[in-house]
Amino acid sequence: MLDLLWHGLVNVAQWKYMLPLFAGTFIGVIGGSLPGVTITMTVIVVLPFTYGLDPLAGLAAMTGVYVGGSTGGLIACCLLGIPGSPASIATTFDGFPMSRNGEPGRAIWLGVWASVWGGLLGALFLVFLTGPLAAIALEFGPWEYFSLFVLAMAMVAGLTEASLLKGLLSTAIGLLITVVGHDPIGSVPRFTFGSEFIGGGFPFLPVLIGIFAFAQIMTDLEKLNGPRNQPVESLVGVRLERFSHLKVNLEIFRQPFLLAWSTIVGLIIGILPAIGGSASSVMAYDQAKKFSKTPERFGKGHPEGIIASEASNNANVSGSLMTIMAFGIPGDAVTAVMLGAMTIHGIQSGPLFISQNPDLAYGIYAAYILAHPCMLLICVALMPLMLRVTSVRMAVLAPVVLVLCVVGAYALNNTMQSVYVLLLFGVVGYVLVKLGFPLAPLILGLILGDQIEINLVRAIMTDANPWLFVTRPISGGLLAAAVLSVALAIWQHLRHQNRVVEEEPDF
Amino acid sequence: MSIGRDGIAGLVLLAISLVLLVKSFQLPSLPIVPVGPGFYPSIVLCFMAAASALLVLQDLMKRAPVVADVPGAPRRNYRLVVIAFAIVGIYVVLLPLLGFRLATVLFVGSLQAALGRPRTPRQWAVLAAIALGTAMVSYFVFERYLLVLLPRGAWTGF
Repeated sequence: MLDLLWHGLVNVAQWKYMLPLFAGTFIGVIGGSLPGVTITMTVIVVLPFTYGLDPLAGLAAMTGVYVGGSTGGLIACCLLGIPGSPASIATTFDGFPMSRNGEPGRAIWLGVWASVWGGLLGALFLVFLTGPLAAIALEFGPWEYFSLFVLAMAMVAGLTEASLLKGLLSTAIGLLITVVGHDPIGSVPRFTFGSEFIGGGFPFLPVLIGIFAFAQIMTDLEKLNGPRNQPVESLVGVRLERFSHLKVNLEIFRQPFLLAWSTIVGLIIGILPAIGGSASSVMAYDQAKKFSKTPERFGKGHPEGIIASEASNNANVSGSLMTIMAFGIPGDAVTAVMLGAMTIHGIQSGPLFISQNPDLAYGIYAAYILAHPCMLLICVALMPLMLRVTSVRMAVLAPVVLVLCVVGAYALNNTMQSVYVLLLFGVVGYVLVKLGFPLAPLILGLILGDQIEINLVRAIMTDANPWLFVTRPISGGLLAAAVLSVALAIWQHLRHQNRVVEEEPDF
Repeated sequence: MSIGRDGIAGLVLLAISLVLLVKSFQLPSLPIVPVGPGFYPSIVLCFMAAASALLVLQDLMKRAPVVADVPGAPRRNYRLVVIAFAIVGIYVVLLPLLGFRLATVLFVGSLQAALGRPRTPRQWAVLAAIALGTAMVSYFVFERYLLVLLPRGAWTGF
């Protein structure tokens, strides 16, 4: 295994992979630091650039965006008091107060270094646990796969904050989109209404780009000229005070339990499907506060809050990569786009991915590891630029991002049909967000829909007894966990029914 | 008892799922496969119909909340969203007619102007530079370096 990892590191250290990795990390840091631009949107912007690259170069660029974006978000947190990306949300709680107390340099670099160490610790788990997880998944038959996918969807729908019903409906809409077109067994056209346009079904990436990018950009445009674009107490353009990187690192390593526990929290949240970095950041922050000897200092510029949030959101990346490589299930929307990019290059993710594509799998591990020094280098060299980039206006960003979304859809198969699908689902995504439907369950339904159907039919073709889904131990256990997850969500929703507050949609 | 936004959304989804459910029962069955092409969609649609009906019920049973302006809440500019969608729609229509380069210059320029109207000659110059720059840089990067072909215009041949 270490031989393969070394080979992967040497391979990715070549210019043809390092350049996309470095460029991806740079774009990720910039995208992450722009308030209103999420990592998902940044990876969507980078997607069309990867079509012409070889698979590992493309995936290295996307991994770079993911790592860079997870860190970049902290700059807006510390200078504007609003998260650059949802994954950094908890960094705001202590990063901004610390900056206001006259220590913006300490706040930002505590976050950057915590990201590096949290990410690299996460890499250990990624390298050593993905293989065993994939080996477990190899034992799965169609019954277990079906039940695993059902569990993934139940968990995601259950975790939606607004309404469990809307989460479940959102999942169903995602599944419904995948049944349009020819069925996977007999190629019978379904719900096409005689239209050739949708005869082949809706292509996954234009639907994903339309739903995510449009929903987010249009929601941001609603608030243009609103209070959020004019922070009351912006520190943009501030000069960082003199400080020592050694001191910052000592500050982090003086609390090894905090670093390790935040990393594990981020990793676990990353492994759970489609939950995302914002949950890991908040959960790690909450845990840090609970375990802290000085919980009263949280929210007032406490370094522990910054370390927990940033170590966790970078470790979350490694967890998401584990899920996609071991099970073929995206850990979040960013890995959903990566999954789509893999499909374009003819790569099938899942338990056989590592054994069938060892160069690519270890290349991704290597890209993930090397993205951290790249990110550190970019932060050291370009911090003055990044301190200013947070003030770029949405009026400038939105048209450029939309052009790249259109190129991303068009370049898939060089037809305008994909662009029409993009526009159609852009409208659908925006309407769903306005109606309070969460998008994460929809995307998971969209990704897993085909696989669920194939495994369901395969199971029935193998043995028509439907009770096998319940009586086979792993399958039954997974289905029981799915039911438990929904029951838990119902219980929580009933408990918090009277405390529902309208919140920003989390992409 | 009045129906709210959730109730209307639920009714629309219920109608869609029922129409498609009927369609799924009309799909032909296959001779060798024990389950036909309508089997899985009908499960999804039954689930969707049930969840939609529950959403309608939940909305009808919910007591109407007192709507009050939340101080400090951002004012939503829906007019801008409609304009932005319209400009994107026009861009998508013009793309195969004018070609990527020309349509993109017009799209980026017009959307920028719609989102934040330039007032000084310098602001207009910046707007034009961003519009031209976006079209040219993306064209060169995709067509020349990444070998991704972008749309040519049926009217312009460009």
